[in-house]
Formats: sequence, structure tokens, C-alpha cells
Amino acid sequence: MGIKKLGISSFVVILSLLILLPNHSFAQKEVKIGVILPLSGPLAPIGKSLKDGAELAADIVNKKYPGIGIPIADWEGIPGLGGAKIKLVFSDSRGDPAWGAEQAKRLIEDEKVVGLLGAYQSAVTKTASVEAERAGIPFVNPDSTSPDLSKRGFKWFWRVTPHETWFTRDLFDFLDGLVAGKAPGVKAISKSELEPLAVAAENTEWGAASLTEIEKFAKERGWKIAEAFKYAHKATDLTSESRRLTGSKAPTFLFASYVSDAILLVKAMKEMKAAPRLIWGQNAGFIAPDFWKTLGGDVNGILSRDVFAAVLGKVKPEAERINKIYKERSGFDFDGSSARDFIGVQVWAHALDKAKSTDPKALQKALNELNIPGKELIMPWKGVKFGSPFPGDTNQNELGSGIIIQYQGYPDGKPEIVFPFEMATSKLIYPFPGWK
Amino acid sequence: MELTVQLLVYGILMGLVFALIALGLSLIFGVMNIVNFAHGEFMMVGMYIAYLLSTYLPLDPLLSLPFAAGAGYLLGIVSYRLLIHHILRGPMVAQLFGTFGLMLFLRYLAMYIFTPDVRSIKEGILVGKTLSMGWINVDASKVFSAGVCLLAFAVIYWMIYRTKLGRALRATSIDSEAAKYMGIDTKGMNALAWGIGGATVALAGALLAHFYYVTPTVGMLFTLIAFATVALGGFGSIVGAFIAGIVIGLIMVISGQFVSELKFSFIYIVYFLVVVFRPRGLFGW
Repeated sequence: MGIKKLGISSFVVILSLLILLPNHSFAQKEVKIGVILPLSGPLAPIGKSLKDGAELAADIVNKKYPGIGIPIADWEGIPGLGGAKIKLVFSDSRGDPAWGAEQAKRLIEDEKVVGLLGAYQSAVTKTASVEAERAGIPFVNPDSTSPDLSKRGFKWFWRVTPHETWFTRDLFDFLDGLVAGKAPGVKAISKSELEPLAVAAENTEWGAASLTEIEKFAKERGWKIAEAFKYAHKATDLTSESRRLTGSKAPTFLFASYVSDAILLVKAMKEMKAAPRLIWGQNAGFIAPDFWKTLGGDVNGILSRDVFAAVLGKVKPEAERINKIYKERSGFDFDGSSARDFIGVQVWAHALDKAKSTDPKALQKALNELNIPGKELIMPWKGVKFGSPFPGDTNQNELGSGIIIQYQGYPDGKPEIVFPFEMATSKLIYPFPGWK
Repeated sequence: MELTVQLLVYGILMGLVFALIALGLSLIFGVMNIVNFAHGEFMMVGMYIAYLLSTYLPLDPLLSLPFAAGAGYLLGIVSYRLLIHHILRGPMVAQLFGTFGLMLFLRYLAMYIFTPDVRSIKEGILVGKTLSMGWINVDASKVFSAGVCLLAFAVIYWMIYRTKLGRALRATSIDSEAAKYMGIDTKGMNALAWGIGGATVALAGALLAHFYYVTPTVGMLFTLIAFATVALGGFGSIVGAFIAGIVIGLIMVISGQFVSELKFSFIYIVYFLVVVFRPRGLFGW
């Protein structure tokens, strides 16, 4: 065999070895996580804030951020993978469940991501996670709250955020608390002053699930409902829906809406001079920056369930420091959605570090055994540990919790925490002051 | 009774805006047999003009209406001269894709310039003011918009049915070849149809921006409604667009009151029935 032939053969052998060797032994420099979010369409503004949150977390894992006070800021890459950097590969779900599933497939097969994150809308998360389950690739869901998602017995799906059952229980704890006189700054309110309730929910997976949960808890806790209906969420007009609520004469309005509907509903209620005593939104549209930016002072007094508020910085200094960086980059404070996508990437970082590999089985084990203490999170949670907090749940974070915020002092104000009552950062404004 | 009156008022007010949005689409189709998919994006341009002029200049949003209409007119003419004029020579499919491409171009150009953020006009003589009349509380800007829509319809109707220019436009729409032989500048008429189409829908956008949010994808929601309105009223019919707009507004508000979840289904059921039993629409020729 001539030297030339030997050279060519060795080259072929080396090349084959390179191709045949498992991907992860060479992947130490970069770990790809696919992120599916609604980056166009009516939900694009929320999608952008979620993307900003996820990107900031990846940046904090990848680079050194001294003085922040949480361990990932000192990592400079994933320690368990020899300092490999996280690379987020974003994909637009267009808010469409079928398209979202298509994107999950594309990320897994073409981009060869080691896992997925997303997809905000429960309906999209539902279909996209089926693709991950089929392929045996972990799907970490930080931001969808339809209770159904964690009740499917999936082995490759982990949900970090508390879900609607949890939040709805919080809502009724809050209402019962008002009647019991537990809210700071407000005397005990008679139940007849708050009853009956009127509920409007958008008609996709998430809104429908929220409505069911509210009806279930209302029955359990003995609260009467005057009106409860679903509406088409890509609406050009919500006048008659607002009229229906106003016409019910209910003093308490509850909503599950995305941002464009939430804006239209508040505008229409203002137009009709609606005068409820309490307005509560189930997060989503009611906490999006576009909601209060667009409506300005008209949001004052409106309540929303949430998982994060910038005022948390008063009690969690690390949250304040990270929020400051976020605000410099995006122009806004963290909200419950963007902060949860931050945590989503954080969960991925810890799982990769614990698994010390990008092998799906090792990641599955790491996620199942993950235990991040509350002090390492920007959320007011006790931590992240997956289990079964409500009947039927699997791989659902057991240590999360929710808050209820109230918009006070807008357009220049901040959302204040009013529930849990012991965490309240301000007195509750009651009754709802109305629109000028 | 109270409910009936409220629903009628809300339905008619919203319906008039739908009618004005659909007018241009109907006109362009009537004259040239071409479907403008970018129609909703023309409306979005009108909304941004109202938003920008009233936010960054000390101008009441009401004063932005002529600017929006003027810009819409120019946009229509320029689209025709630079794009439509050329694709007319191609097959039907090329024409469809042409306006579809224009839609994507305008939408994502707006996305690039303005980001997907949702904005709204915060100050203006009519913005956020409520008129109370007996049982009804209604946004003053909606009442004003309805008035402007009526006026715009009256002007366009007069122009098309009572002027020489309108006669030329109608002649082009009935038989473009014959009109050409009679000495009518049919290309000019086509451009005019695009200009008027752009002006009316951008005007509708500027009115809508008084009480609706502004975002690059907002046109998408209204385009489908506009198609249903035009099909219901009859392609090319001004009276048809007017009546159909109000009918759609009423269907939307009434079904929203009783079965909100299905309100779009009702609109498309009516559309479907018209297509099956009277394919040319209520007033189409």
C-alpha cells in the first residue's frame, strides 16, 4: 500500500469515526435547546417578552455575571458538560397548534436539539409536546397553565409553572379572605356584595380550562355565578360580550383573556360605564406589558393572578438585580410570563448540569430528580421539584405558588402584591374605582 | 327592549365601519376582477398614520383622517403602478400571489419598523369619551366614525353614479375592452379604483384607531370579515357593501350576546347560504 493510499484510507477511517461517534461527545461547546413561542400574530408582543426572558437566562448561564447572587451567574457555561454553552434555537409557533407541532418536529429532526422549551399557549404546548414524547426528547414547559397538560401521564414532559387549578384555588382563597376580613386595609366585605360572579373566557384550550376550574371551585366554595361564557379569541369586536357582563349586574367580573381581547374588553366596559366592585384577570393578557401600556390609567384597580411582580425585589434582592438587567435589555420589568421563561432555561441548565450528558435518558433521569431550592430562583417559590401536587398530575413542579397583583397608580405605577395577604406590598384598593 | 336597542345600536355602529373597510375591496374587484389580499394591510397603514400623527405631533387624531385617506390613495395608486399593472398580464394565480405577497411585504415591513408591540391612541377630543343616551352608553368616537362612514359612502356613491368619471369607471368594470374602444383610459380607471380602495380603507383604519388597538397584524382580523362582507353584498356593489357591512355588524353583536363562541360561525353560515343560493351576492351584478 502506497503512502498516498494509506493517507486516503486513514482519512476515510477518521472521517467515519467522526460521523459515527455519538453527537454529544463533541457537543460540549454548545448545547442546543429548541424554544417554541408565538413570535408572530396577535400574541407576538408576549412572545417577544418570553424570548427576552429566555435569552437573558441563557446569557447568565453562558457568561459571568458577578454579584447577582444565584449560582448559574458564576457558571460560565454548564459545569457538568465542561463549560458547554446553551444555544437557544427559536421557532415561531404562529400561535397555531398544528404549526407548533410541526416546529417541534423540525427542531428535533433537523436542528438536532437536545430538548425543547415552550410553547406558552396551552393548545400549542399540547401538540408540540406530543412530538417530543414520540421522539423521546425532554420538553420543559415553564409557561402553560391548562391543568390537562400534566395529567396525560407523559414521560418526557415537565411543567415548571403552577397550573390553573392552583391559581383558581388562590382566587377563591382571596375571595373568601375578603369576606373574612383578611385583606390589609379593607374591612370584612359581606359575601352578598361580591356575589354573583360573571366569567368570560377565550375559547381555546387555556381559556376553556380556566372557565371549568372557576365553575368547579365556585360550586365547591359556594359562590353563585350569574354569567359564564366563552368567546372567540381572535375577535374584531367584543362589545356584546362586555354588554353581557354589564347586563348581568354581577359585581365581580372574572376573565381569562389574551392581550388583544383583554384590551378590547376593558375599552368596551369603560364605554358602557360598567361599575363592578372587583375585576380579576387570569394572568396572560392582563399582565402583558401591552395591556397596561395601551390602557394607561384605565388599569388602576384591576387585579390579576400572577407568579412574579417587580416589587418582589423588596423581599428578593437577587430578583431585583436580574430584573434590572432585563429592563435594560428589553425596556420592561419582568412579568409573570417572561420571568417564567427565564426559569425555564434555568431548569434546563440545572438538568444538563446534573445529567452531565445530553443523552435523552440521562436528561430524563436528571429532570425527574431535579431539586432547585427556592433561594436560587427569581420567583417567590419554594423551589422546583417535579411530582404530583394535585390528583392525576405527573412531572408537575410541586413547589411553585401564585400571587395576585393589583395595578395601582398607573400610568406611572407598578403592580402591587395583594395576595397572599401576608406577602402584600400595598393595601388593596376596594371597591374597583371605575373609569374616568 | 333595552337589550334590543343596545344591540341594534352597537351592531349598526360597528357594521358601518365594516362596510367602509369592505367598500374598497368590493370596488377593486368590481372594476378589475382582482382580489386584493393586502386590503387589511392598507387599513393597518391608515391606523399607524393616525397613531403616529397624534402621538408624535401635536395633532388631534381627527385631523389625521385626511392624511390617512391621502396616504391610502397614494398607496393604492403606487401598488397598482408598480405591481398590479404588471401581474395583470400573468395568469389568475399570479394575480392572487401578487397581492398576497404585497400583504406579507406590508405586514412584515410594519413589524420591522414598529415591532409587534400593541399601541393605541391615548389622547384626542373623542378618544375614550362616552356618550350617554338613555339606556345606551356608547363611545363618542364610534358614533363619529359611523357618521364619517355614511358620508364617505354618500361621496363615493355620488361620484360613481352621478359623475362622468364614475360612468367611465362603471363602463370599465362592465366591459373593459369595449370601454377602451370608446376612448376611456381603462388603465387610469384601474389605478383610480385602487386609489379609492386604498383611501377608503385607510380612512376606516384611522377611524378604527380611535377605539381599537394598533399592531402590524391587525389587518388580518378584518380582512376575512371584509371578504365575507363583499361576498354577501355582491362583488363590485357599493350599496351591497353598505348593507352587508351592517348585516355583519348586527350578526356579530347579536350572536356575541347569546353564543359568543360561535359568532364567526354565524357570519360564515350566512356567507355560505348566500354563496349557495345567490352566488353573485345580495346586490352583485
